[in-house]
Amino acid sequence: MKWVYRIISLAAAFVFLIPLVWMIVVSVKEEGMKVSGTVDWFTPPYSFAVYSQIIGGTKLLQWVWNSFFVAGVVTILTVLIAAMAGYAMSKIRFRFRSVMFFVILAGLLIPGEGIIIPLYQVAKDMHLLNSYQGLIFTVLASPMAVIVLKSFFDGIPNDLIESVQIDGGGTWRIFLTIMLPLTRPALASMAILTFIGSWNNFLWPFLSITNDKFFTLPMGIPTLMSQYSEDYVKPMVINTLSSIPIIILFLIFERQIIKGISLSGIKG
Amino acid sequence: MKKLRIDMQALLFLLPFLIVYVLFTIWPMIKGIEMSFYKWTLIKKLKYVGFDNFKRMFQDDQFWAAVWHSTIFVFLTTPTMIALAIGLALIANRKSRLQKLYRSAFFLPSILSVSVASYLGLFMFQPYTGFINGFLHALGILPEGKEVFWLTEPSLAWIAIAALTLWWTVGFNFILYLSAMQEIPDDMYEAASLDGATRGQMFWRITLPMLNPITRTILMLQIIASYKVFLQIYIITGGGPLDSTRPIIQYIYQTGFRKNDLGYAATMSYMLFAILLVLSIIQYVISNRKEAV
Repeated sequence: MKWVYRIISLAAAFVFLIPLVWMIVVSVKEEGMKVSGTVDWFTPPYSFAVYSQIIGGTKLLQWVWNSFFVAGVVTILTVLIAAMAGYAMSKIRFRFRSVMFFVILAGLLIPGEGIIIPLYQVAKDMHLLNSYQGLIFTVLASPMAVIVLKSFFDGIPNDLIESVQIDGGGTWRIFLTIMLPLTRPALASMAILTFIGSWNNFLWPFLSITNDKFFTLPMGIPTLMSQYSEDYVKPMVINTLSSIPIIILFLIFERQIIKGISLSGIKG
Repeated sequence: MKKLRIDMQALLFLLPFLIVYVLFTIWPMIKGIEMSFYKWTLIKKLKYVGFDNFKRMFQDDQFWAAVWHSTIFVFLTTPTMIALAIGLALIANRKSRLQKLYRSAFFLPSILSVSVASYLGLFMFQPYTGFINGFLHALGILPEGKEVFWLTEPSLAWIAIAALTLWWTVGFNFILYLSAMQEIPDDMYEAASLDGATRGQMFWRITLPMLNPITRTILMLQIIASYKVFLQIYIITGGGPLDSTRPIIQYIYQTGFRKNDLGYAATMSYMLFAILLVLSIIQYVISNRKEAV
């Protein structure tokens, strides 16, 4: 019985990993290789010639950088402004707070895909098409992050805040020295989800960017692929080059990423 | 005066969020209503057409076909996604030297860019040269000289799209189930095994019921996410063969940007909006009931 479990488990791991192994192995094959059986995929000769061709001849590395840059800035800003808003909603007793809560809560129901056509028109009116600003600013509002972070701030006892106030500390000091440090796991969780969301955002860059200087990976990759549909080596080089940085990042931060996602399930 | 000062303080903290929220969420929502009453091209607003766009939508067979295709995708991927996520979590939850390897392996595809995952799928499912047919040949499941044409046969194309989507996205739900399983107290299993329960009984009577709350959440979020499907299908089948897999968002995109009709595209976006809104409200009601229990 134990062996049955083990074989099923190994088979599942094999199925999940083999496409990635295949991608990497094919990417170091020689162009125009012959494939007549499964074994051919994995046998020499190997060559890195296509790598230098792609790196030198396309903007792929620029797009990898764009994707990291946009996702990084989006993540920092989204979490920061959501934390600020969540803090105000949780700990500052201002008037109209319940109205404000309702306005933000309603945002949970608005799907980005449902407003993307008018968003295009709005961005066009504001001259945000074809720019980093257009890629970044348009996606920063995350009502979900505000509400999740608010619920974490709610859990911080008011005594702590009062002790800072007695020391003469203002709202900013409370925010920076108590609120943010004490909710670090929640902030990390939001940051990870925002990063992955931005990393995979396709529809908005696809509609709003036409200059290939500003392409991100999800939309840049298809423009390269259409030229190389016959051969397997170039597409796999493109896939591998696009994936290596994020795979390395994942292996470094695996524990935090897994924890961040588990945490989002508890609040979700 | 003190009240006003507190209000201003709150406003200061809310302002950055409110600016982007109003400009890029609320305002487009209002703008979309305006656009759906106009003939509106990529260049400019042309003329007021009243409810013409809405009338056209309700009579547009291609639009309803696209709604249906997205619905097929939801039905194909949601139950399989949940079953697969639970299965993988069971594997990774068993004590074993390879536990860490399993966890990484099942999650790794989730971090790939959507384009990379889709092109891997496209190339793997090719007849003659693709990896999957080659693998089936090697195992002897597919006789030599025969090929499966995954992407040109509508029902097979759906299977290919669903399989690729499961492989690429199951990681998130797998992690949610895994952490939910680890929350189940060990004494429940110990007590059950003292009573002579088999492993199968423990799974059906303890594990599965304990996962109920997370399953409800995942179910609704998965349905909502699946209605937004676009790029995998766009890359793998292009919406074909003969538009038989084209989802809503692809049709909206083609209407707006290929046929230069933003007004009608905005109208159809509102229909998608309405579908997602109803689902979100159901999700909200269900997840609030969960807290009441």
